[in-house]
Amino acid sequence: MSSNGIGRLTGKVAVVTGAGSRGEIIGNGQATALLFAREGCKVLLVDSEEENLSRTFRKISDQGGEASFYVGDVSNELDCQKMVELAVNTYGHLNILHNNVGVGGSGTVVEVEAKQWDHVMDVNVKSMMLTSKYAIPEIASSGGGTVINISSISAIRPRGLTPYTVSKGAVIALTKAMAVDHAADKVRVNCILPGPIFSSMTSVNMTEEVRELRRISSPMGIEGSPMDIANAALYLASDESRWVTGISLIVDGGVSLMSPQR
Amino acid sequence: MTLNGRLEGKVAIVTGASNGMGAAESKLLASEGAQVIVCDIQGDSGEEVVSEILSEGGKAEYAHCDVTSEMEWKSVIEDTVSKYGGLHVLVNNAGISSTSVEDNLATDAWENIMNINATGVFLGTKTAAEVMKGQGGGSIVNISSIMGFVGGEYGHPAYHASKGAVRIFSKAMAVKYGPYGVRVNTVHPGFMPPMTTSNHPSSGSRDQYVAQTPLRRTGEAIEVAYGVLFLASDEASFVTGTELVIDGGYIAQ
Repeated sequence: MSSNGIGRLTGKVAVVTGAGSRGEIIGNGQATALLFAREGCKVLLVDSEEENLSRTFRKISDQGGEASFYVGDVSNELDCQKMVELAVNTYGHLNILHNNVGVGGSGTVVEVEAKQWDHVMDVNVKSMMLTSKYAIPEIASSGGGTVINISSISAIRPRGLTPYTVSKGAVIALTKAMAVDHAADKVRVNCILPGPIFSSMTSVNMTEEVRELRRISSPMGIEGSPMDIANAALYLASDESRWVTGISLIVDGGVSLMSPQR
Repeated sequence: MTLNGRLEGKVAIVTGASNGMGAAESKLLASEGAQVIVCDIQGDSGEEVVSEILSEGGKAEYAHCDVTSEMEWKSVIEDTVSKYGGLHVLVNNAGISSTSVEDNLATDAWENIMNINATGVFLGTKTAAEVMKGQGGGSIVNISSIMGFVGGEYGHPAYHASKGAVRIFSKAMAVKYGPYGVRVNTVHPGFMPPMTTSNHPSSGSRDQYVAQTPLRRTGEAIEVAYGVLFLASDEASFVTGTELVIDGGYIAQ
């Protein structure tokens, strides 16, 4: 256990996908990996960009946590298989899979190119099937554990991002199906629906005007930070939630309670 | 008891705290550093919960609160604020699952259940939210049920209705008090051990429902308490108006 943590994940091993960050602004996956490590978890960091990954790796090392990394593409089956093997070979078992990888996808069904649609589905949905396909048997044989999928409130409050909305809706259905299928193996599966989080991904090209619009879409008048997602993931990853499976946990400052302009 | 300080410096009121989930919630919140006001109408068992917390090094006191009485709510909250300087967390846990009335569509049974489960939460939430607004924020956790999501023959019809009321009332209050930093969320337990106040006769059918729960067992009070702790703490500072289901996967299927 490293500094500041209280050991909520002591003895556990996690794979966190999309654990890198593009720059100094923290990402959801990065924040989650950092928090898991701080709470005593050994973390295999996965991302397609080595440079982004190394930022997270350095931060965990600096705070005294235990991590290693794998550069790979989670929409590629062989990479998913290798990633899980690496985690088990390095740390002896696997308890937590955190599926954070995702890309945006805008436009209506009339506008979107079929190829772009397939890409969004591959990265946002097929990837979670593939990582889970290899991780779940290992989690089960490690005595049980948990899978956490990142969906979005876009799944329940669509607006102009149809490929993204549909992919994130599929993540909710996938979560429930996996939860029911693998409960007997003591594998819990839940998803988080983030609202307006100012992160490594969402901050790209975001104007101050748009950022303010996102803030005021919440009745609390605030945006979220990747730490808000990380804290929700920590609850779902830890044994504190051992009777929780198949749920969609909304972390959005109340945005989805209404559906105002955003 | 581990003292990790996840609620250090916070003052919390828990209702229906003498037994079961309320007692587990009180003990957990206290173990994380909160000053807990253990509220109930059953003083003897409430004092036992308090003694247990004190003996573990936590901070707690008992207060009588009939949740259907607006006057009692006002006095509990006023006393808490004047004694401890604020109120940061309210857990509206008190509730009943059935009544002694045989006909479960009897109007007096409906009124009894709605009065405790729905009006009780309404009174507590509105009184606490105003205090929290004045002090710059707080967290209210209302205990609903999976029966606030789905129908079924097992639950009392008024129980379903009352838990549905808690669920949607909490969202309305989350919107109303969001601008003041007051968060309002619901927790939805699945099949738990029967309440001490329950006189539901059919333990046989209950077993069937438990068998249909994907994780194949009833929940434990501590498992609900951990969900309450998450929502009560600053770890959930961007979480409001949401539903935390703790049910072994029952309603996912």
